Amino acid sequence: MLALFLTGTGWVLDRAFTGSVVTGAEQQLRLVIYSLMGTVGEQGGRLTFNETLFEPRLSQPDSGLYARVTSDLGEQLWLSASAVTTAVNFPEIDYQPGSFVFVQTAEPTPRFHLSYTVIWEGVDTEQVVFSTATDQAPYLASINEFRRNLGLGLGAATAFFILAQLAALRWGLLPLRSMAGEVRELEAGERERLSSAYPNELKGLANNLDRFVAHEQSRRSRYRNALEDLAHSLKTPLAVIRNALLNDVPDKALLQEQLQRMETTVTHQLSKASATGPVVVGKAVVIDVLVRRLLRALEIAYADRNIKVIENLVPDLAAKGDERDFMEMLGNLLENAFKYTRSEVHISSFARTIETREFVCVCVADNGPGIPAAQRGDVLDRGRRLDEIQSGQGIGLAVVKELVSLYQGRLEIGAGPLGGAALTLMLPALS
Amino acid sequence: MRILVVEDEHNLREQLVAQLKGEGFAVDAAVDGEEGLYYGREYEYDAAVVDLGLPKIDGIEMIKRLRDEQQGFPILVLTARGHWQDKVEGLEAGADDYLAKPFQMEELMARLNAVIRRSAGYASPVLSQGTLQLDTAKKEVRVEGAAIELTAYEYKVLEYLMLNPDRVVSKSELTDHLYEQDFDRDSNVIEVFVGRLRKKITPVDFIRTVRGQGYRFVTEAG
Repeated sequence: MLALFLTGTGWVLDRAFTGSVVTGAEQQLRLVIYSLMGTVGEQGGRLTFNETLFEPRLSQPDSGLYARVTSDLGEQLWLSASAVTTAVNFPEIDYQPGSFVFVQTAEPTPRFHLSYTVIWEGVDTEQVVFSTATDQAPYLASINEFRRNLGLGLGAATAFFILAQLAALRWGLLPLRSMAGEVRELEAGERERLSSAYPNELKGLANNLDRFVAHEQSRRSRYRNALEDLAHSLKTPLAVIRNALLNDVPDKALLQEQLQRMETTVTHQLSKASATGPVVVGKAVVIDVLVRRLLRALEIAYADRNIKVIENLVPDLAAKGDERDFMEMLGNLLENAFKYTRSEVHISSFARTIETREFVCVCVADNGPGIPAAQRGDVLDRGRRLDEIQSGQGIGLAVVKELVSLYQGRLEIGAGPLGGAALTLMLPALS
Repeated sequence: MRILVVEDEHNLREQLVAQLKGEGFAVDAAVDGEEGLYYGREYEYDAAVVDLGLPKIDGIEMIKRLRDEQQGFPILVLTARGHWQDKVEGLEAGADDYLAKPFQMEELMARLNAVIRRSAGYASPVLSQGTLQLDTAKKEVRVEGAAIELTAYEYKVLEYLMLNPDRVVSKSELTDHLYEQDFDRDSNVIEVFVGRLRKKITPVDFIRTVRGQGYRFVTEAG
């Protein structure tokens, strides 16, 4: 861009200067013609020329400035001394009295020519042609000199602009460079979050990065906790089983119980660890689409139960999060309803504002036996270890509860309008 | 009943095969999706048990291809991860039910029997035709409410015919679905079973002989 601009500028300047030099040459030749005309005398019908000329160069042979006077019949009336030893080759000119004709020739030497035709009354020939010529060499030399200077100037300007641009770029990218450095430090574990000294344009990015990092950290620590819990709660039953095998007749019921315990643990802790949790960036999960997909799947699996499903779903209601997590929560709620209902499952979705926070809610109700009020607390108690929950609703609800708290949502268990259980899942809405 | 088991884990596959054979099923076992697809195309099955995490062709892809080729036998999928994503994708691919690992064999048998029944159009585990009732869970047959004694093979023949009502079932189809592949097809043992079965479920003549073609279980038997 810069190169294009400077080339253009150079071209325009060069044209302007060359034009003015040529005009200057023409002006000079015009002056010579006027002066020449001033020295012309008349004697007996013939023109006379004063040899002591105003312009010394016309008297010096080969000086570079030449003049000639001819009649309209082509008769040479006078030739300057400078042109005697030099072949000037004055161009043939279409005579138009009272007009100057300016031409450039390249052969034998590059020259400018200017001719002027006048009607001179009282002499034999009516029209007299004054022709002048000058070598282009001195003019070309001055043009070349100008070009050299122009090139030097523009080159210097280009270099200056490039350097200035590099400096500006470097200065402008300084915050990004320092951010890259801080991200490297984050990766190396040398810092926990980005510093806050970023210009406004980058604050959003820095904040998002921070949220992302925090999310990754909490995810990592959740993995670690889940793995530690898993190790802990698997080692105990393993020890029990190993000791039980020492007996000649192992207690089958005991083995069964321990295996059951291990199974519960594996299912719980693994689903806890594999949850993604609230996402920093990601697309919204459209609730009605997801619920319908799950319902179609469950209707296949529970085809022989002939369960009547009534949906009341708000179209396009969406919450932000990981689709797999949402599928786990809704899948478990719906499956419980299908499993425990006698004949009907109602599912509805709606938006609700609680204490200025907006929630997306999904309510699943059935007409099964319901969850006894005494057990509802167990399911929702945050302090309670998951593998201790042994309610009829099984492991599914414990998984839902874990995910809901990860999303800072709520799970409400109550008696539904159909007489069975009614579970309401509330998840923070978008934004 | 002929069952296809597609499971790559050796121990679990052997357990499944042994358990299913113990329950009176004829069983073919495949170790990966490619082999499963081959069996599914080449033989007629009453149901399949398919693990989702299979080598070569995964379970979902295998089920999709079988369904695309109009293989309609019921399929029960097993998933180790137990995520809803897997279950939903399995059912969307064309499976009929799912079971998360680890599972109890009793649960698997119940689900398997249920998908077989369902695909034959029975909603309840008790197949009922007039005065005849066959309880697939208890493996018990009653005529006019009274339990009758059947041998394992007689039971299998009756169950298969009741699951394929009003359709001519050839003797070779019966041997295909009831016995292991090395069964001697020239024997007239099927005729003997059917003959004894007819006598036991009298007075109503549910099983009609279609000369030169096989047998037909008639639902409108007078």
